[in-house]
Amino acid sequence: MLRFVAASCKRTANNPSCVVWLKECRRHARTSGSKQQQTSAAQETKPKLLEVFIDEKKVLVEPGTTILEAAAMAGVEIPRFCYHERLSVAGNCRMCLVEVEKSIKPVASCAMPIMMNGMKVKTNSPMTKQAREGVMEFLLMNHPLDCPICDQGGECDLQDQSMAFGSDRSRLQVELDPKRAVEDKNIGPLVKTIMTRCIHCTRCVRFMNEIAGCEDLGTTGRGSDMQIGTYLENTALLSELSGNIVDLCPVGALTSKPYAFTARPWELRRVDSVDVLDAVGSNISVCTRSGDLMRILPRENDAVNEEWLADKSRHAPVDGLKAQRLTVPLLRPSKSSQLQMCDWEDALLAVGRALNGIQPSRMEAIVGPFVDAETMVVLKDLFNTIGSENVYLHVDSDLDKSCFPSSKDLDFQKNYLFNTSIAGLEDGVDLLLLIGTNIRFEAPLVNARIRKAWRNNLINDIAVIGENGLDLLYDYEYLGDSTKVLADIVAGKHKIVDRLKKAQKAVVILGQQILKKDSDSNAYEMVRALCDKYGAEFNLLHANASTVAAFDLGLKPSSERKTDNSDEQSLLWLIGVDDENLTIPNNSFVIYQGHTGDICANTADVILPGSAFTEKQGTMISMEGRVQQTLAAITPPNMAREDWKIVRACSELANYPLPYDTLLEVRERMQQLAPHLTRHSNRKLEKPSLRPPPISSVSAQSPVSLLPRMKSLVDYWQTDAISRCSPTMSKCVLSTKKEFDKRGIKY
Amino acid sequence: MMANRLLFAPFVLRRSFSLSSAALNKKNDSQLVPTKGVADLKDPRTVLEADEMKRKELLRNSVIEVNEPMNISPIIGIPDEHIETRRVRIFKPSKNTMQSGTNNINLWVIQFECRERWENPLMGWTSSGDSLSNIDGWLRFKTKEDAMHFCEKNGWQYSVEEPEVTKRPIKKSYADNFSWNKRTRVGSK
Amino acid sequence: MRILLKLIQTKDAFICSLTKRMFTRSTVRCSDQLFVHRENDPDTKTFEFTIENIKRAESIVSIYPEGFQAAAIIPLLDLAQRQQGWLPISAMNYVADYLKVPRMRVYEVATFYTMFNRQPMGKYHIQVCTTTPCMLRGAEEVYETVKKLCTDPKLFTVSSVECLGACVNAPMFAVNDDYYEDLTLDDVKEIINDLKAGRKPKPGPSKRSGRLCCEPKNGLTSLTTPPPGPGFKVRSDL
Repeated sequence: MLRFVAASCKRTANNPSCVVWLKECRRHARTSGSKQQQTSAAQETKPKLLEVFIDEKKVLVEPGTTILEAAAMAGVEIPRFCYHERLSVAGNCRMCLVEVEKSIKPVASCAMPIMMNGMKVKTNSPMTKQAREGVMEFLLMNHPLDCPICDQGGECDLQDQSMAFGSDRSRLQVELDPKRAVEDKNIGPLVKTIMTRCIHCTRCVRFMNEIAGCEDLGTTGRGSDMQIGTYLENTALLSELSGNIVDLCPVGALTSKPYAFTARPWELRRVDSVDVLDAVGSNISVCTRSGDLMRILPRENDAVNEEWLADKSRHAPVDGLKAQRLTVPLLRPSKSSQLQMCDWEDALLAVGRALNGIQPSRMEAIVGPFVDAETMVVLKDLFNTIGSENVYLHVDSDLDKSCFPSSKDLDFQKNYLFNTSIAGLEDGVDLLLLIGTNIRFEAPLVNARIRKAWRNNLINDIAVIGENGLDLLYDYEYLGDSTKVLADIVAGKHKIVDRLKKAQKAVVILGQQILKKDSDSNAYEMVRALCDKYGAEFNLLHANASTVAAFDLGLKPSSERKTDNSDEQSLLWLIGVDDENLTIPNNSFVIYQGHTGDICANTADVILPGSAFTEKQGTMISMEGRVQQTLAAITPPNMAREDWKIVRACSELANYPLPYDTLLEVRERMQQLAPHLTRHSNRKLEKPSLRPPPISSVSAQSPVSLLPRMKSLVDYWQTDAISRCSPTMSKCVLSTKKEFDKRGIKY
Repeated sequence: MMANRLLFAPFVLRRSFSLSSAALNKKNDSQLVPTKGVADLKDPRTVLEADEMKRKELLRNSVIEVNEPMNISPIIGIPDEHIETRRVRIFKPSKNTMQSGTNNINLWVIQFECRERWENPLMGWTSSGDSLSNIDGWLRFKTKEDAMHFCEKNGWQYSVEEPEVTKRPIKKSYADNFSWNKRTRVGSK
Repeated sequence: MRILLKLIQTKDAFICSLTKRMFTRSTVRCSDQLFVHRENDPDTKTFEFTIENIKRAESIVSIYPEGFQAAAIIPLLDLAQRQQGWLPISAMNYVADYLKVPRMRVYEVATFYTMFNRQPMGKYHIQVCTTTPCMLRGAEEVYETVKKLCTDPKLFTVSSVECLGACVNAPMFAVNDDYYEDLTLDDVKEIINDLKAGRKPKPGPSKRSGRLCCEPKNGLTSLTTPPPGPGFKVRSDL
């Protein structure tokens, strides 16, 4: 609503009553967030519950709950198409009609609030059944009978509900009343449309408008000519969340384009896992068939991803993990020769020789973005046994290292976690300050959470320091792009200081993908100091899934590597590190271990084929500190092996055998190092209790601008080894560029 | 021999039993006395000797109570590598996001860790050396204890994943679409 | 040879009867409107409100409360249509940007209402009513005549529409905002010739019908006497 305020102030200024109204409106909008909390707190202490009888089962509900939700509480499921828990109520499919006593007509239960004590709902009465049959008959009248060639077949709400609630005959006479046909729309490379199947539930329209903030989808026309679409032809949806409309569609009108005609749902095996393409730790189900990764679906988790999944996480691994894979060990016999295929034995022997022959102080290991905690533990144990402390977490070379915590900050978890937690963004945040981040593309689901809170007036004050003109899907105040603004705030000279002081819960989010400048800033320290001074909650928005686990295990950021020019032989062990400008010491024996041969694999002397996150059971820690595990859905291809096993095998050949052989034993060791790492739970979140000592003074430095690496949607699709190998992501880049060109948007 | 007889003897299972230390635990002498007494001559079963009848009757009514956890893995013929090395995950399946139905998520299922599958080169069918994987998701239990008990009985290592306990209550209203002070209003998105 | 031919014929007949039984082909039913904008659909290069229309738009927007500016979509689209004669996509975009609402919201409204014309229109939009009362009084002939007379697409756009609410004066058509009622075919010819000549015929019932408005054609059939004064049929003692 406040979007209009700035533009229309002038227009209403000469109308006194309007000004009063406007002020009232603003005040209400500002206070309604906290008011709501107060009222909800009051309700908790003194609940005024209403009793409802659903099929004679008594349920106590809060006033205002819809009949449909009350029925869900009673364990009665009411069929629905348009209603979705996380979208607004539309009430247009009419499938949820139920009989309510004393009401002569059936009632749409999804939109009917319970306001009266003793309401009696009958979900199984003849009237309800007849109403459902009638609705179903109307829906099927225009629905094609193409289930055998429909990708939704087998997991289609319309199919299931017509079996369960529909009539066994239809009065449709095709000769007299022909079926409707609607032309298909092109909405980009991720979503395939077969619009004739559409039943006009408008879930996709509501999702794109409300949650994804991409207002291109809508309904055109009316009556039986109504269509869902973009009105304009050939429009790619400019959104990083558009894949979710495929899940939402209750029929086969929107299906996944990359997955089209590849598998049937009953052939698939689902394995619960965790996404690693960003640090959010979205819960996913990996669907496979005969050792082949078919698709990735989100899994419901209210605390993390709700029910959504970002497009990169959903589509990139499916084909990205089938191209450019390292499947056999490779060895470079001499510096001048090519990499050659070899046996595991040869490769491990070469690594063993190197580990034995090189000075421990000249050895380095760097882990990349997708590495699990088990591998890091084993690697660190091996290096420590040999006598080297040089185990690093990779920090991309084109990023400003001063936005990262340094190794002295890693003693306290609070220094590097997303402390507010993702769900915490909905709990009474008075002021949100985003620093040096394009959060929309760095963590799409965190951004969706902020947008959700903003839409519900739970966050009303958002400010941004960093790139100007970012489309973050919500209104914000732009404060500037340089560290000078930060310094001003810390010094108390900035206009936002008053609001920071006043805010009961101010949340500060510092991005971890700030582009490198000529001179280093001290952004991390300044933001810490800012938070300490004003009592704001400090949050780091990590870019990579492995970061928190690495910091928990005491790995240092690779920006602290010390490389000299000495020609003495050295060893560099890269696990999934891909960086064009990586510093490789002179005369170095490079071991590359990983699943995808992307950038750094070319420079390696030995390549040890590892496994991707879909192929191993590994602990991942999300940016908010949630300990979750990926599960193996398929086995690693060909000769590839699980990463920790490879490191363990190398330790054997280097004559430093490590004392564990199974995953459980590794996890026991992990428990010794960091007990919380083995308490897997995607539900509970343990928050660190130790408070780091506050930072009081920050040294003054020349201002540096804090610009995030990803600017527009074009930059979002291909950011790491997996997504760079994915043909689908390449198509996304092309279609996004085309769409931007068409709209005249610069990227 | 002992094992064989026990397998086919009609006994009542009390919670769990272990064959390695199976002991016939006579609870009460009177229980062992057949209630019918001497065999009826008209009964076709009188072809058997009265002693044999008596013994069968006795077995039929006897109760074996074993206090150790039951483990049937040694006798069911599954190779050891499919028992000792298997890790089972017990969990409640999550809702399929593609559908709105929730009827199939209130039961507990077991899932084995992944083993290799491949396409049969002749017909293109999926092959696997892991027959246990085919009970993934199909074998369902009402409670996690049932599932745990089943895994114990079969000698598999297991871990239980608890589902989300509390879910935020959903409070939505059709009126939000027209709310004057919220950004939930249609058109202001 | 003949037998063979016969065989083929019977086989054909058999197949025909089979196909007839097995497949039914329904008539194609589609709207005369298209609810998708094609890439090379007609459009104006740019659209902007004229200075007077900006004033009008400002006063229209000002009557809506703060935050409810989206409600002005319909009046502003109408304003744009009146300015342009039809509603090109650039005008819709302009209105959307003017009100700061997503463009799709404007497309939704413009496609919902049939009176927003998203294709170029002639100078005169003749909407012939063909609903039952008009049809009974010869609207079909009127429609055919209008179609025959109005051949210049730049000058005329003819469409048959449902009831325009002037049933007492059936048959009728509307030319832009004006109603022409009680039409005979001669009236139609006259009106259209006038329009072609650039004159504006007088709207309302035609001269031939002799009516001023919607009064009964052959004089009043009820209320023929002056209305009774106060005290009519009231007891004398009151």
